[in-house]
Amino acid sequence: MILKVLSLSFLALVSAIAADVKSPEPSMSRESLEFFEAKIRPVLSQQCYRCHSAEAKAAMGGFRLDTRDAIRTGGQSGAAVVPNRPAASLILKALRYEGPKMPPGGQLSNDVVSNFEKWIAMGAPDPREAEKVEWKVSTIDVKKGREFWAFQPVKKPTVPAGKNAWAKTDIDRIVFENYKAKGLTPVADADRRTLIRRTTFDLTGLPPTTDEVEAFVADRNPKAFEKVVDRLLNSPRYGERWGRHWLDVARFAESNGRTRNYLFPYAYKYRDYVIQAFNQDKPYDVFLQEQIAGDLMPSATEAEKKNRIVATGFLALGAHDLNEQDVAQYAMDVADEQINVLTRSVMGLTVGCARCHDHKFDPIPTTNYYAMAGIFRSTELKTGLERRPKNRVSYFQEERLITLPEEVIIQPTPEQIAARTELLAKKSDAESRLLQLQRRQAVDKVQATLQEIRGIENQLDKLPRGAVFAMGATDAKTMVSCKVNLRGDPHKLGPEVHRGFVEIATPDGMIVPEIGEGQSGRLQLAEWLTNKQSPLPSRVMANRMWYQLFGRGVVRTVDNFGKMGEMPANQKLLDFVAARFMDNGWSVKKTLREIMLSRTYQLGADYNEANFNKDPDNAANWRMSRKRLEAEAVRDSMLMISGNLTLTPPKETPVSRLPKQAPINIRFGKVVSRYENSATYRSVYLPILRGFIPLVFQAFDFPEPSETKGLRDITTVAPQALYLMNNPFVLEQAQGAAKHLLEKPLEDSKRVEFAFEQVYGRMPTNVELKQSLGYVRSSAEEASAAKKEQESWARLYQALFASAEFLNRT
Amino acid sequence: MNETNHIYQPTRREMLRGTSCGFGFLALGGMLNAGTTYTNPLAARAPHFPAKIKRVIFLYMAGAPSQWETFDYSPELEKAGDKETSADPTGGPGKRNGKLMAPRYKFEPRGQSGLQISDRFPHLEKHADSLCILNGMHTDSAAHPQASLFLHTGSFTFVRPSMGSWTVYGLGTENQNMPGFITINPPNTGGAQNYGSAFLPAPYQGTPVNVGDDMVPNIKNPQMNAVDQRKQLDFLQTLNRQYKDKAKVDGELEGVIQSYELAFRMQSSVPGIIGIEKETDATKEMYGLNDASTKTFGTQCLLARRLAESGVRFIELGNDGWDHHNNLTQRMANNTKAIDQPIAALFTDLKQRGLWDDTLIVWGGEFGRTPTGQNGDGRQHNSRGFSMWLAGGGVKGGMRYGVCDPLSGAAVADKVHIHDLHATMLHLMGLNHDKLTYRYAGRDFRLTDVYGRVVTEILS
Repeated sequence: MILKVLSLSFLALVSAIAADVKSPEPSMSRESLEFFEAKIRPVLSQQCYRCHSAEAKAAMGGFRLDTRDAIRTGGQSGAAVVPNRPAASLILKALRYEGPKMPPGGQLSNDVVSNFEKWIAMGAPDPREAEKVEWKVSTIDVKKGREFWAFQPVKKPTVPAGKNAWAKTDIDRIVFENYKAKGLTPVADADRRTLIRRTTFDLTGLPPTTDEVEAFVADRNPKAFEKVVDRLLNSPRYGERWGRHWLDVARFAESNGRTRNYLFPYAYKYRDYVIQAFNQDKPYDVFLQEQIAGDLMPSATEAEKKNRIVATGFLALGAHDLNEQDVAQYAMDVADEQINVLTRSVMGLTVGCARCHDHKFDPIPTTNYYAMAGIFRSTELKTGLERRPKNRVSYFQEERLITLPEEVIIQPTPEQIAARTELLAKKSDAESRLLQLQRRQAVDKVQATLQEIRGIENQLDKLPRGAVFAMGATDAKTMVSCKVNLRGDPHKLGPEVHRGFVEIATPDGMIVPEIGEGQSGRLQLAEWLTNKQSPLPSRVMANRMWYQLFGRGVVRTVDNFGKMGEMPANQKLLDFVAARFMDNGWSVKKTLREIMLSRTYQLGADYNEANFNKDPDNAANWRMSRKRLEAEAVRDSMLMISGNLTLTPPKETPVSRLPKQAPINIRFGKVVSRYENSATYRSVYLPILRGFIPLVFQAFDFPEPSETKGLRDITTVAPQALYLMNNPFVLEQAQGAAKHLLEKPLEDSKRVEFAFEQVYGRMPTNVELKQSLGYVRSSAEEASAAKKEQESWARLYQALFASAEFLNRT
Repeated sequence: MNETNHIYQPTRREMLRGTSCGFGFLALGGMLNAGTTYTNPLAARAPHFPAKIKRVIFLYMAGAPSQWETFDYSPELEKAGDKETSADPTGGPGKRNGKLMAPRYKFEPRGQSGLQISDRFPHLEKHADSLCILNGMHTDSAAHPQASLFLHTGSFTFVRPSMGSWTVYGLGTENQNMPGFITINPPNTGGAQNYGSAFLPAPYQGTPVNVGDDMVPNIKNPQMNAVDQRKQLDFLQTLNRQYKDKAKVDGELEGVIQSYELAFRMQSSVPGIIGIEKETDATKEMYGLNDASTKTFGTQCLLARRLAESGVRFIELGNDGWDHHNNLTQRMANNTKAIDQPIAALFTDLKQRGLWDDTLIVWGGEFGRTPTGQNGDGRQHNSRGFSMWLAGGGVKGGMRYGVCDPLSGAAVADKVHIHDLHATMLHLMGLNHDKLTYRYAGRDFRLTDVYGRVVTEILS
């Protein structure tokens, strides 16, 4: 691979732009212009502009014919005019009524057609500029911009030397230095019960069992806590929790959302890939490379190859407007979606803001945006869905998925193959009938035929295919570099920018991989991002880890490290963790372990007035912050305590059983709520359909899954209380827990102790014990004698589930 | 809800909250992180400036009703009827025959104001002097889903919060026992994004309900009676208070305690608010509940009045089936019949209950239809010119504003874009659309993006 030092490539880029900003048609002769004005323009404006111009809001077929750029860019089926090449110019086909018949009102005379032919052969001289939107070379000073802290390469800070009785680890020494600077004193360490509950929730999203609590409390081994951390990191439950954190930033969902909300029936494979990657502790740099360019990476085994294809689902999971009529707009929107999710999740930058103009706050020229857009325009997403499919029946098309190399395939029987052939013939027959009916505007019959086709498709769905599918990305057939879209309008074009990266995130002297002509640039993008000199990915991920463990990132705006984000509360600390993360071979597990073994992580949550007055937000980590459990943890913990939790993950997802051929409606929503209330799997496996997320998720601030959201809101509202007071699922878990409790030969006071230890990880105080016994004895007076005992203990459990102490970890 | 902070310590955030600018964002900052004070995200908040109205009832006619058969009187089109035209009836995809089609129904001047309304609204025409008809509406897309999202969120390019969510974000809601934003029978067009909160926090999203559904999820315990539940709640709150005392200064935990009390109150109040069976026979008759053709929308309108009365901030009623590409004459008659009497009843009821002056009613679809005909008796999509109307507090009645050219189908004078409509609605609620912002992904977002003009000409 050819490598180049950035400062050189930057100069090259600037000069390339300068060269491109010139009058595009210097050679138009007077005669050729006169010909255009006399013979061509009048026809275009009288016959075509009505439907094919900026004025016609939705340009038909995506074609616009009212500017030079537009007529040469074309629409769905290609360019209307290719200068000097009449045979390749679609406009001539249309005028001759070969293929699309234009104008639809009647064929134009042979004279007109031959004028067009002549004009194209002349090179299609065309003075029509797009409405004046001037291209201006960016005034952003990228070099100066790199002085901002986040764009400096990560350098491991020196750890404060000297004796420090309080500190256990280097992290502690750095944190302690900040205490001194701020006049803070750390509170006492957490007790063991608090600590194991905290650690178990943080690493697995579940509470510790009573046995685990007791064992830790009794363990006198000085490495007792290390053992707990290691046990939890090695539990498969770890990946289910930390994988979900990544799914938040990856805007994971199992349906497209937007105006055509069709299913992503194979999105679950990406979800499972993520969970597995965290469980296997896949190095974060490889994890990123696979998601961006897994299909392009060499793989040692078939299994690895398959995995890496599935990983590129990351790029394909976006919410796209499948009903967009303007082809150019759609292509840019799809690229934009990927730029947004990638730069926000991995870099903590809002590069998407530079789509219409230079970034207003961060030093990102719009040319950098289009450098990246070129990479994604040279990439084809295989989502299974088609934009405005011709037959207008189903937007779902199996051919638009990736067929995976799979070890085990259910081979269809000869009968099934025959059945498939027959159904496909029926389908094609119905589709041609449909087109005719649509032309005749036979509304009722169109509806009936649509139904028929859907029926056939549903039957087809049930037959084994002999193939296994996934969503993902592949390189496009042709590689393109984007022209700047002036003000974000894909029909108003500025200079072309070669595929490349965001300069601000390339520190001086860092080697930038060169993107060759035949390459989309995804591989190079992944390489550029995971270069250890790349200033953002390590910091952003280190900060995400800190946020999950402490409830507050060192940079509080976890998805925004730019000027509009917040400054780090302690940059030295963040840089240290980021550097250690890379030293640890990008191992998330090792880094988490290192943070958790610090004394800082093991502090208590006690209040301290002097500290509080100086640092009420606990930005300096003088204590451990209380953290509200996420929706998933609330649901999973109840399931675990009731004894109903199924730990084996489901084979697939209920989504695969829903019809793929129709958009999601309120009925699908009901399927989701039924599943939510009956499935006993961990919540990470519940279906995430855009617009129809499970009710418990809605109540407890699950992020809207259409865009990156690394920081979950924490709100306290009545629907949460109503859910815990009245939802049948909650009542059922309370009953389950009570049933198991009563199977134990214990006295009532021991039962209360057991329940408290299950739910809170601690024993009740004497006062609580008395209150609880009092409540159990009087709580179900109206219940029949047979049910009374279980009912009263169930009500106790339900109260514990609803309590603030259960809903938080300290 | 009464927000009491038992241990009150002003913080930097608290002091900022007291300052005048950017109140919404700052107030929200308080609830996003465990802090000293609890800020109920739905608590009623003061507007930017004195408001004309307190709530909105939005009557969404999905499918895009024709203005030419309803609220846009055009003698020119009557005269030009069924003539070939070289006009430019630009709309969405599909065939158009280029012939103008005369309005299928007669218009007459109604009320004192002589406002022209077609003969499809025998009940509503009695309130003509209360209507402010906007004939110069225009929007950015002539495809149903996109235009529906545009109408609701101001964008079809991106996932953005609904206008109802913005409203509740800006003002909170008056009755803490009810959701602040409810949409009854939402049509499929545009989907859940029509009432989604997008990047605004979850409490601001709309609650979708169908007539007959549980309007508020989990509002009733399937097993326990109120006495037993109160007993359980007392025990629970004891635990909560002990936990809070241990934490010393923690406003969020006070919020948890309050949220349970609120939930308990909601259980007894909500069924009363949404139960229409206690309404008098005369009222039911007035809303058309006894007639199969008006029953559904009548029930929606009656619920809307009850919700308005109970302090819900933003109420949307969905009505589907206005996409009249063919059989327009008959289908328009059916559609208008279904809504005419219920809407008139809603007007009468709001007026007699003193709710009229602080309620804004908005009627309209995602776009309108072409002056040219289609399929003999139908009209094509038209985003360049259509009609909506406003009524209630803060707007002039008996007024017609804007002109749609009956030959080209485009709004040509006193044009009102959807962004302008949004700006005007927020203005009536005392919110400056330029200042109602939410910071997301490093940028301050608005309902009106970088557009929007308050249509001061129609304000009373």
